[in-house]
Amino acid sequence: MSDQEYKDWLNSAEKELKDRGIEDLNWQTPEGIEVKPLYTVDDIKNLNHKIGFPGIPPFTRGPRATMYANRPWTIRQYAGFSTAEESNKFYKEGLKNGVMGLSVAFDLATHRGYDSDHPRVVADVGNAGVAIDSVEDMNTLFNGIPLEKMSVSMTMNGAVIPVLACFVASGLNQGCPEEKLTGTIQNDILKEFMVRNTFIFPPKPSMRIVADIIEYTSKKLPRFNSISISGYHMQEAGANQVQELAYTLADGKEYVDAALKRGLDIDDFAPRLSFFWSIGMNFFMEIAKMRAARFMWSEIIKKYKPKNNKSLALRTHCQTSGVSLVEQDAYNNIVRTTIEAMAAVMGGTQSLHTNSFDEALALPTPFSARIARNTQLIIAEETGISNVIDPLAGSYYLESLTSDMIREANNLIKEIDDAGGMVKAIEMGIPKMRIEESSAKKQARIDSDEETIVGVNKYKPTEKQNINILSIDNDQVRAKQISNLNKLKKSRNNKIVEDFLKKIEQAANDESQNLLEVCIQAAKNKCTVGEMTTAMENVFGRHTLSTKTISGVYSKTAKKNEKITSINTYIDKFVEAKGRRPRMLVVKMGQDGHDRGAKLIATAFSDLGFDVDVGPLFQTPAEAAIQAIENDVHVIGVSTLAAGHKTLVPLLIKSLKENDASEIKVICGGVIPPQDYDFLHELGVSKVFGPGTNIQEAAIDIINLI
Amino acid sequence: MKLKEYLKLNKISNKEFSKLIGITPVSLSRYISGERIPEKEIVLKIFEFTHGSVSPDDFYFQKKNTQEFNSDQLTLINQMSKQLKNGSKRALAKTITLVESKLKKDKLLVQKIFEKFKVNNNTVRIGITGVPGVGKSTFIESLGLFLIQKSHKVAVLAIDPSSKESGGSILGDKTRMEKLSINPLAFIRPSPSDGHLGGVAKKTHESILCLEEAGYDIIFVETMGVGQAETAVYDMVDIFLVLLLPSGGDELQGIKKGIIELADLIIVNKADNDLKKAAEITQREYRNAIQITGKPRKDHEIDVLMCSSLKSEGFNEIWDFVLNFVNKQKKNKKFYENRESQKTKWMWNSVSNNVNEIISNEIVRNKFILKIKEKVKNKNINIFQASELIIDYFIKNKF
Ligand code: B12
Ligand SMILES: Nc1nc2c(ncn2[C@@H]2O[C@H](COP(=O)(O)OP(=O)(O)OP(=O)(O)O)[C@@H](O)[C@H]2O)c(=O)[nH]1
Ligand SMILES: [Mg+2]
Repeated sequence: MSDQEYKDWLNSAEKELKDRGIEDLNWQTPEGIEVKPLYTVDDIKNLNHKIGFPGIPPFTRGPRATMYANRPWTIRQYAGFSTAEESNKFYKEGLKNGVMGLSVAFDLATHRGYDSDHPRVVADVGNAGVAIDSVEDMNTLFNGIPLEKMSVSMTMNGAVIPVLACFVASGLNQGCPEEKLTGTIQNDILKEFMVRNTFIFPPKPSMRIVADIIEYTSKKLPRFNSISISGYHMQEAGANQVQELAYTLADGKEYVDAALKRGLDIDDFAPRLSFFWSIGMNFFMEIAKMRAARFMWSEIIKKYKPKNNKSLALRTHCQTSGVSLVEQDAYNNIVRTTIEAMAAVMGGTQSLHTNSFDEALALPTPFSARIARNTQLIIAEETGISNVIDPLAGSYYLESLTSDMIREANNLIKEIDDAGGMVKAIEMGIPKMRIEESSAKKQARIDSDEETIVGVNKYKPTEKQNINILSIDNDQVRAKQISNLNKLKKSRNNKIVEDFLKKIEQAANDESQNLLEVCIQAAKNKCTVGEMTTAMENVFGRHTLSTKTISGVYSKTAKKNEKITSINTYIDKFVEAKGRRPRMLVVKMGQDGHDRGAKLIATAFSDLGFDVDVGPLFQTPAEAAIQAIENDVHVIGVSTLAAGHKTLVPLLIKSLKENDASEIKVICGGVIPPQDYDFLHELGVSKVFGPGTNIQEAAIDIINLI
Repeated sequence: MKLKEYLKLNKISNKEFSKLIGITPVSLSRYISGERIPEKEIVLKIFEFTHGSVSPDDFYFQKKNTQEFNSDQLTLINQMSKQLKNGSKRALAKTITLVESKLKKDKLLVQKIFEKFKVNNNTVRIGITGVPGVGKSTFIESLGLFLIQKSHKVAVLAIDPSSKESGGSILGDKTRMEKLSINPLAFIRPSPSDGHLGGVAKKTHESILCLEEAGYDIIFVETMGVGQAETAVYDMVDIFLVLLLPSGGDELQGIKKGIIELADLIIVNKADNDLKKAAEITQREYRNAIQITGKPRKDHEIDVLMCSSLKSEGFNEIWDFVLNFVNKQKKNKKFYENRESQKTKWMWNSVSNNVNEIISNEIVRNKFILKIKEKVKNKNINIFQASELIIDYFIKNKF
């Protein structure tokens, strides 16, 4: 490129811009990266990374030499609901239609280590995933699916030992030896404390469990990925892409150190570490993130001096971003998912899940699941994209962006290192706070129309669309699970069960034993997931999160507008009339750990002038009612996303009534299908605020209500 | 000043005055007697005619004084008092809301409810402070559960900062007292500090009385370890605990020296796991420091103890200390003197609060004061003259 040419371009550009300078076209991304309107060869002269070749270090262009030119990515749809029987049917249907690997979604009771008959999970059984209580449920789940051939990914972190144990035991039942099992166990506990909230034990014993699994699988399940280090949930919880990248790699380092401390050699386990990204709507940023991650990981592992190059290669699964999908004008979501899937493919993912268009309404139906699956098949088989490896390499913009992301992510990693590593940083709440800030900023931008979401804050649909949704009768699922549990407990040898539970406790007390090894035996002998968890809990205790909340971020980002001014006057008037500010208790009931919305509502409403009480995660309806009564709030705001509302809200209202506190109003927000609105209103719920709610408008509604 | 006084003072007849502001003498006499409250416009007219001497407050104030509770309100009061006495959490919560309310009518209700309260010296009021994150809530959770096992009823008042900008607040303390908050023998109430800290003090003190009336015999008050809230809390409790982090040699942990000087007991929290050593060092250092800084207050020896709120360790020692302290104080009558003097303190607190409120309401509206402001601006009078005039005005017309 000649300087003259550049000057010529600049000249004509500025002419087109009239009195504005070219910098005016720069775009400040939420990550704080400045993107220019034009990139040239100059921009790739001093990169922070090496581009290189696919299949060889530093693997920037991909972990395999031939990538999709030889074999496309694995279509792996995350799914699970109701009973093992139902999910088994769903899996088989998918496998007939192009799905290549399974990915099991467990229900929240299982995630948190409770059997289906536990009193704290009345609203959670089979709702947001499949209910698994014992090896028998696991047998049913894979009935007719040979585990010797099928790779199975399992999203399990809290109850990871009992569930993996049931899986291995189930494989053995099928006659599949341990060394032939393929697949992935998520086993990434650090991000649970940060964003996903299905932890059970405190961080220390949890890290020991991670190491137990890495150790055991490296010896006995050599084809199984022992961990899926996940950024996905961070972005879904509100992290920007740099945060997702940095915190995930920092988590990865922590796991490597934990395994090394066990006396493992880096090459024993590093090739079986896998990653998991979320792919959102910022197309190029996502591709840059994936390439940056591969380069950075190889740099990180290099320091451990591996002998096997495979230790340096980052392999990843991707899922399109659920949080980019909205309830309003839901068919638009198909388009969004397509764009995101393209980014994942251009970024070189090894496997991919594409979301269904009814994501913000409920679990997918067979119809919506089919479109989601086909989205990938169309990209793979109709576009020709997969014929060329890493097709965007060398793009001035992309390489420059990749380099910028590496720089920014390294800065964040340094912050974590300075805090003493990820475990320490999590204890101090650093990453969680940063992610929540970023989530509050995003909502403020959307609420004040600075960021467009088609169908939500711009180009709104004029007609209501009726979309069929999957609805699960969780009372029925629960009843079935409980009756199976009872049968199991009658038919098994309870003496042996007792012995095994004691052995688990002993192993928990003795770090030289491997908990997974003991639990596989226990699972074979029909100890339940809940029993095995309780045995460990007796030693480790159950962790509670100390909830911290941010403040001021929402109001600082939201532009002052007439809505905000009118909220201020409304509140002033309210105080004059009632003698205090409007006071709202935001609650999360059941095992639903989706707290992004609740946290956002809490911080934004207090920024708007409300007094906001925040309840702890996992409250029961009765506990929530008591808190509302003691704090004497005007209104309880239930945030519910995991389909527990039809069970939990009636119990809450009943509890209020019993305590003579019916004048406390109840409102609901979160993922609530429109089909359920009438049900809630009839119960006495004053108002329902679905996904895409503008918080400022909601605040006005609520003041009017109380 | 009351309209009646004004007319007498200025020797204006009722007839004359009623003509001046355009109402009938009959209405005027009704206004004067307080039988009726004039319309807003008329109040303002009177305000103007009397050059601010008879202000709107004079009419409304009158109403307050002569107000009797109607029978509905009286039943409500009786009901609330009874339920409170029976330990109803709902009634307790509502009474605290009345205590915190800014409405005059609520304040009056509260006074009425309070009339039924009896003095109760069998309770222990414990103030807790320390930097954010030191573990105050966790400490209260563990100690609270420990005390419930000893058959106490435990209540917690937690004061959270309100945002200066929006006035709103986030009240999250309960999430950190998870087990205590669901215990039937515990009651936890977080309250927004709502700007003025003195206000907190008064409300919190009254809330304590409500809790005691409802049968809670151990009352914790938690404040954030910054600002003047501590001294306010200090003035409403029997014993004041300061929590410290195991710093293992780092100097004063961002906590103000003054606060340490208020402490009756210093506790190094988080003395567990890898922090145990550091906690011991901190304990030793503060023990040394206390000996140097000299005189114990309230005739008692301050001590530095250690605990782990997470593992519920060290509470036997801490509770022995508290009981010892209280017993000693009771023996030498300091306990009662302290509670008495606190009462006067918060009375003055309340007075100065109300005075401040009156003044700040007045200075933005009052014509006389606005005029003086104007004069200062135009350099017609100097600041000293102006402040004299304003104070004079308040003394004559307001107080
Ligand atoms: C983000 C997300 C996650 C994140 C959660 C991060 C976090 N810390 O919150 C991660 C990736 C961890 C996650 C995990 C899971 N998820 Co998820 N998740 C979502 C997703 C994509 C977005 C939710 C969100 O945060 N949106 C952004 C916030 C700001 O919006 P919001 O919560 O809706 O709040 C807005 C309004 O609803 C309203 N509002 C909400 N609450 C309140 C309260 C009041 C008082 C008011 C006034 C207003 C109000 O105002 C807010 C602002 O507009 C939804 C699908 C979707 N698009 O909605 C699925 C979804 C909720 N997840 C789902 C599932 C199944 C799960 C899992 C259980 C999967 C599994 N089996 O493992 C796990 C388990 C998580 C757990 N511990 O509970 C399902 C639930 C299915 C159902 N309801 O039937 C959904 C619907 C996706 C789907 N269709 O399958 N998830
Ligand atoms: N190791 C250890 N951690 C503790 C202990 N007490 C509290 N913590 C932890 O310290 C953090 C803060 O505890 P809180 O009780 O919320 O502290 P606080 O002083 O009430 O905080 P603010 O209300 O924000 O001022 C939490 O993560 C607790 O789990 C303890 O004794 N040992
Ligand atoms: Mg606290």
